Amino acid sequence: MKTDVAAFKALGDPTRQQIVALLAGKDMTIGQVVDHFDMTRAGVKKHMKLLEAGQLITVKAEGRERINSLNHEGFKSIMQWVAYFDQFWDDKLDALASLVEQEEQI
Amino acid sequence: MNTSEIIKTVFLPVSAKVAWGYLTEADKLAKWFHAPKQDLADGQDYALFGAESGDKVCWGKVLKMDPYHALAYSFAVKPFPGMETEVYWTLDEIEGGTRITMRHTGLENLDGQSFDLSMALDKGWDRHFAQLRDI
Repeated sequence: MKTDVAAFKALGDPTRQQIVALLAGKDMTIGQVVDHFDMTRAGVKKHMKLLEAGQLITVKAEGRERINSLNHEGFKSIMQWVAYFDQFWDDKLDALASLVEQEEQI
Repeated sequence: MNTSEIIKTVFLPVSAKVAWGYLTEADKLAKWFHAPKQDLADGQDYALFGAESGDKVCWGKVLKMDPYHALAYSFAVKPFPGMETEVYWTLDEIEGGTRITMRHTGLENLDGQSFDLSMALDKGWDRHFAQLRDI
């Protein structure tokens, strides 16, 4: 479950969302990604690290290059959000039951 | 089993009329769910706001209000603003109280592909999930 939190966190930023959108089009080196942003290479790299930590992208070495690709498996895990809603409703309905008990003085 | 649908039931030891208030009235919804600005009204749009952030967290339109029996609304959530799921509430008065059944449907609309295209997550959401996990 920790991974999912990292994945959500990774997506909680407009720059990283843009990087994901770029990589959805094609695999890229960091240099290619940097070209799309008005940002230093170090800044972009920081965002890429967070995406990697969230397992939303993978980095492969090809010769001297490091190629970044979208990790479709990572997105699959984030899509198991039915499980989150399951928990969400359990939580909310528990809260409702407690509230009614309290307010209606049963 | 349809994994993209969630069904929950909860028993409340009150009449269906009282239970109905908790599902539709703004001040009561604020205490257990998220806070709307107004009571839910048939055919009207609604929006629920996070208690701490004040951000709009869920919204949609009330599709059906059959007082003390059935309530339905479309339900969009922050990470997927373009995608609407639906939530159906049914109230059955039984001995000693009311059984409430909640059915959340339409989750299958959120496949990986549409997720990639419509993605618009923001910072409030991961906190929300983190809170859920702490319970």
